[in-house]
Amino acid sequence: MAANLERQRHIVDFTVASLLRRKGKNGALLAVYTVIVFLLASVIFFTHALKQEAARVLKDGPEIIVQRTLMGRYSPIPRSYADDIREIGGVQSVRPRLWGYYYDGSFLANYTLMVPDEAPPPGEIVLGSGISRLREAFPGDIVGFTGFDGRPQSYRVQGLLPEESQLVAADLILLAESDYRQLSGIPADQATDLVLTVRNRKELATIAEKIVKLHPDTRPIIRSEILRTYDALFSWRSGVVTVLFTIAALAFVIFAWDKATGLSAEERKEIGVLKAVGWESSDVLLLKFWEGLLVSLTAFLLGTALAYLHVFAGTFWLFAPVLKGWSTLYPEFRLTPFIHFGQLEVIFLLTVVPYIVTTIVPSWRVATIDPDMVLR
Amino acid sequence: MNKFNIASFVAVLVLTASIARAVAPQPVKSGTRDKCAVCGMFVAKYPDFAAQIHLKNGTVLHFDGPKDLFSYYLNPGQYRPKLAPQDVAAIYVTDYYSLTPVDATTASYVIGSDVFGPMGKEFIPFAKAKDAQGFLKDHKGKSILTFRQINQGVLKGVQ
Repeated sequence: MAANLERQRHIVDFTVASLLRRKGKNGALLAVYTVIVFLLASVIFFTHALKQEAARVLKDGPEIIVQRTLMGRYSPIPRSYADDIREIGGVQSVRPRLWGYYYDGSFLANYTLMVPDEAPPPGEIVLGSGISRLREAFPGDIVGFTGFDGRPQSYRVQGLLPEESQLVAADLILLAESDYRQLSGIPADQATDLVLTVRNRKELATIAEKIVKLHPDTRPIIRSEILRTYDALFSWRSGVVTVLFTIAALAFVIFAWDKATGLSAEERKEIGVLKAVGWESSDVLLLKFWEGLLVSLTAFLLGTALAYLHVFAGTFWLFAPVLKGWSTLYPEFRLTPFIHFGQLEVIFLLTVVPYIVTTIVPSWRVATIDPDMVLR
Repeated sequence: MNKFNIASFVAVLVLTASIARAVAPQPVKSGTRDKCAVCGMFVAKYPDFAAQIHLKNGTVLHFDGPKDLFSYYLNPGQYRPKLAPQDVAAIYVTDYYSLTPVDATTASYVIGSDVFGPMGKEFIPFAKAKDAQGFLKDHKGKSILTFRQINQGVLKGVQ
């Protein structure tokens, strides 16, 4: 055992020395390799973190959201629907919600308007940090919006939302019910949608069915469906980035393949000499194995570490536009670091394993040749 | 003097009785080590159906569903610890809709529905009779029973 360990150590020593002898070539390889791992890991980390964030936000969300549809499109729901739905067995509570979007033409940004349970008094609003930054509005200032009827509406900023919940709150405006109805034009007897609390999850399907039977023009959305949609959306987006990056990956594969298969004359000669001085084929293979492992592992560790910094400490400047979507208010938000062992496994399997395999096979072919032939 | 003594004795009796009523044991959350007293399954895995009997000596017996609770309650002496009806301080089952513990003796139970508990067919408990009726219709239940109506015969039908 100890002897075997010693042998491995010597071979690793030799490998490192041999890698350092060709600094330029191996350095370039390492750099390209690291970039590839970095790109792949960035995308994987980012999508997972986004999904995680969405899941965390939705965890405390309502079990069922009821929307009304008119000709297949969303339409405001009459508040009276809430009273019928409250009677359904298993529904713990029904709450009409008021919220919507507001497009600010002068700043080219979308805001989310919402009437919370504890709304600010009429005439006052609470701003998300993104809007505050964009419009340079701070507590005490007066902010103006254009109502649905074209009339200007102005509000006093009561306060700002805390910075932590940036992903959901950056573009949020909280306001009073009367202000919201004046701004959006939604009639007094209607709401944006209804949210239901249901304690027993086994009952969700039955309740959704009964709601549709009661009001055929409604569409109940169960929380798991929302989560699934988010999942699909982020997966699709990360797919787009992955496709773009496949081209880069392909270039790397060609590069690695070229480097690995077409062992240079110098390397062939080196192997020949090693064999001539008494190395066995297995030793040569071991040498090549260590070489591959050292290069790929270094690239893997460097790449994932850089990706981690890029995604969680930086601002994900590389792919942010593709992955984060439409709002101009998002770019400053930070994700909560979240790393799963499975993600690292995927990155490892996609980068390190193929590399080791591609380098070991051609070396094995050379290692089995007669040294006499190589040296001649 | 004597009269006063009797009066105060009665007053004390009434007082203790009302205190005893007031401090009827509250439902407890089943721990991860609590096993069903009838079938031996861990109860904490099935919080939606959990049931419990509180004994006067402070012991709490957990059950993974109302069915096992009735198996125990209707067969005193068959399971351990042996039960004497006067030992029972409180019985709780979990309301199917609100998933909160409710007094088992005043609950309504639906049988024959298409909702199954951890041990298959189950009595589905409801605090409100109206909820039980709605559930019966939604889930093809056979009938609604009160605590007192559940006997050996009914229990056999559910097992």
